[in-house]
Amino acid sequence: MEKAIERQRVLLEHLRPSSSSSHSFEGSLSASACLAGDSAAYQRTSLYGDDVVIVAAHRTALCKAKRGNFKDTYPDDLLAPVLRALIEKTNLDPSEVGDIVVGTVLAPGSQRASECRMSAFYAGFPETVAVRTVNRQCSSGLQAVADVAAAIKEEGIKTLKKPWKPLQQKSAHRTALCKAKRGNFKDTYPDDLLAPVLRALIEKTNLDPSEVGDIVVGTVLAPGSQRASECRMSAFYAGFPGMFLIYTAMRIFVSLTMVLDSGIGAGLESMTTNPMAWEGSVNPAVKKFEQAQNCLLPMGVTSENVAHRFGVSRQEQDQAAVDSHRKAAAATAAGKFKDEIIPVKTKLVDPKTGDETPITVSVDDGIRASTTLATLGKLKPVFKKDGTTTAGNSSQVSDGAGAVLLMRRSVATRKGLPVLGVFRTFAAVGVDPAIMGVGPAVAIPAAVKAAGLELDDIDLFEINEAFASQFVYCRNKLGLDAEKINVNGGAMAIGHPLGATGARCVATLLHEMKRRGKDCRFGVVSMCIGTGMGAAAVFERGDGVDELRNARKVEAQGYLSKDAR
Amino acid sequence: MPMFKAPFNGYSVKFSPFYESRLAVATAQNFGILGNGRIHVLELSPGGPGVTESIAFDTADAVYDVCWSESHESVLIAAIGDGSVKIYDTALPPPSNPIRSFQEHAREVHSVDYNPTRRDSFLTASWDDTVKLWAMDRPASIRTFKEHAYCVYQAVWNPKHGDVFASASGDCTLRIWDVREPGSTMIIPAHDLEILSCDWNKYDDCVLATSSVDKTIKVWDVRSYRAPLAVLNGHGYAVRKVKFSPHRRNLIASCSYDMTVCLWDYTVEDALVGRYDHHTEFAVGIDMSVVVEGLMASTGWDELVYVWQQGMDPRAS
Repeated sequence: MEKAIERQRVLLEHLRPSSSSSHSFEGSLSASACLAGDSAAYQRTSLYGDDVVIVAAHRTALCKAKRGNFKDTYPDDLLAPVLRALIEKTNLDPSEVGDIVVGTVLAPGSQRASECRMSAFYAGFPETVAVRTVNRQCSSGLQAVADVAAAIKEEGIKTLKKPWKPLQQKSAHRTALCKAKRGNFKDTYPDDLLAPVLRALIEKTNLDPSEVGDIVVGTVLAPGSQRASECRMSAFYAGFPGMFLIYTAMRIFVSLTMVLDSGIGAGLESMTTNPMAWEGSVNPAVKKFEQAQNCLLPMGVTSENVAHRFGVSRQEQDQAAVDSHRKAAAATAAGKFKDEIIPVKTKLVDPKTGDETPITVSVDDGIRASTTLATLGKLKPVFKKDGTTTAGNSSQVSDGAGAVLLMRRSVATRKGLPVLGVFRTFAAVGVDPAIMGVGPAVAIPAAVKAAGLELDDIDLFEINEAFASQFVYCRNKLGLDAEKINVNGGAMAIGHPLGATGARCVATLLHEMKRRGKDCRFGVVSMCIGTGMGAAAVFERGDGVDELRNARKVEAQGYLSKDAR
Repeated sequence: MPMFKAPFNGYSVKFSPFYESRLAVATAQNFGILGNGRIHVLELSPGGPGVTESIAFDTADAVYDVCWSESHESVLIAAIGDGSVKIYDTALPPPSNPIRSFQEHAREVHSVDYNPTRRDSFLTASWDDTVKLWAMDRPASIRTFKEHAYCVYQAVWNPKHGDVFASASGDCTLRIWDVREPGSTMIIPAHDLEILSCDWNKYDDCVLATSSVDKTIKVWDVRSYRAPLAVLNGHGYAVRKVKFSPHRRNLIASCSYDMTVCLWDYTVEDALVGRYDHHTEFAVGIDMSVVVEGLMASTGWDELVYVWQQGMDPRAS
């Protein structure tokens, strides 16, 4: 070992001679403790065949809703090219994909689920590949990826033949079923239908509601986001404490017990087709439950709440927006998104004449490189008089889709597919709906801890910039290095198509980690969730693409391993 | 242009003086810090797939340099990181190799050079501050030259005078030696920082070039050694190897930690005549073919060996 240290020293002298007084060595070089293959806090298990790996991740460009390049594009035409790209780039036989789960938020549930199934057909998937949607508001894309990963892991656990605890059904209840439109429930609010059942589950099993890990509600026809909010409100009525989790899904019972070899976790949102809206009237029951009422707050108001309560100034928020645009513009100019963006051939319809122009969209059209503090300073606050949240420091309303192909590592090896990333952990947490933006500050530590890591071990973050206020708050609260977060820009510049954002961030994160080399080992995707939740997932860089190109400056060098601390 | 990907990081490349399409590559695992080494003998096939490996020899430690014998066409000599000097015969299969192993240097052997005029002896330069003179058939070194105060990075024979050689050392001096003399005949404090390489002009036996950690290459005339003939600036980091062209008297090739290979004409005002940035890691080995004019080879820590004609793009296929 002494010899190796000695050789290192001789080589370092060539690059940074100690007697450099007579020459201008800029001191930009410094020895970096080698992180490749280091154990650190993470017990490096060797690559197990049952790891869930990502072999491909792609997205469409994101375009401004209503005015951008996707304004005349059908949602199923947004998702289909991405799904097709996953198959073409990996040469996978589409019939081998176990399931396609699409995170999608605002559209009416059944219609969107049908559109997703249609997309799969356009993309060349046979009828034997199943499709479902999932809705945990803004984290739906990430939730879809996590669901697929969980299903793949289930299969892995079973094949290990270890004793594993199957899910046990403890209690099951239902309401009476009544004829729609004319029966006894015709004037009942949907959240009042669910709440009694949830309450009964708790009361009859004497379970402490805070012990319930997650609530998944199968629901089909309602507008996605509204129904997800109604479900969260239901749970509040039923007496669940603030921190619980909830999400909705289609085709629910099959998916809970499903096991997979490979699957696609995707996200899709067309905010042109489905703007944020609430159909019908609001249940007066919310007035009795403050937290349920807070689920109905416009997102911008929660942003003002965060900015006010935690003291995030207008200046800081605008600066974050400027940085986001600058980094996104630089990344686009440098061609960094070329690997992940799938060009989409679509059309633009002139609203006056009805003429159709064919276009190919391959660039995010929301990025404004010329954004400065001065131009942002002119914008007026939108949600609160004397507030700080403006259109400039909020995420953009966008259309887009993303998809991630996951499979078990043994399957990927058998097919000879290089591994882009490894899915490690996912965590969703509940927070106060009135300040929903703090979600990442709670979710990221949870996911990182579940992976057996510390925050310091994470080399790259994609934290969704729903609003600059919550983004800045989370960054400061966790004490994260700004150089590691959203290095290629974020939602304020690129866009936030609600259901697609999770999948989009995974694609951007994994491709950037691939570019950065072996030193960039762990990455985190995280977002806040409307109605008061947060989600985060930890990914590890895949080893199918390793070029040791990057060395990072460290303050104190001297140990070969972090374990020697 | 042909390209070869080795499993280990490249350290040195040398064309065979006998066969125009043969070259030897010295490689080491983990950038030569820790691990094994391997010597590859490559054949260039003009019609077919570019470069093929004809034979390879594994070593227990890193191989820092390799050179071909001038007396036997299939013999090459390797400088190994564990201080040994090994002789290989490519005509024999790998299990019969190495045919000789000399363990005398106390530290890493950094370079080996074969005498081109007398063809019977070779020099090794080592990090134990010594240069040793050997003959193929003697079991031990003939002489040890111990004067440098730090690692000796290279020792090169004069192309015209069979008893004269130069050594470049980390003690910032260039020394000229004559094997018939007891000590060095000339000490030139050529640079203020470590000198990593030196080479003689093949057409003017009094001119040599040194390359240094100070990012420059200096060209010296031993008859007036107070000041250099030329100082060549242009590399961004330490210059690892320098080589005079066997075909043109003023042409120098160099490779550096800045990952580029440069060509210089030291007699002209604007000396840099070519720059190749095909390597994606430190470029540490370079050679120019004696048999084919303009043919160059380079290798680097990116595990690649490129062979190309001057003026062409090494990466063109």
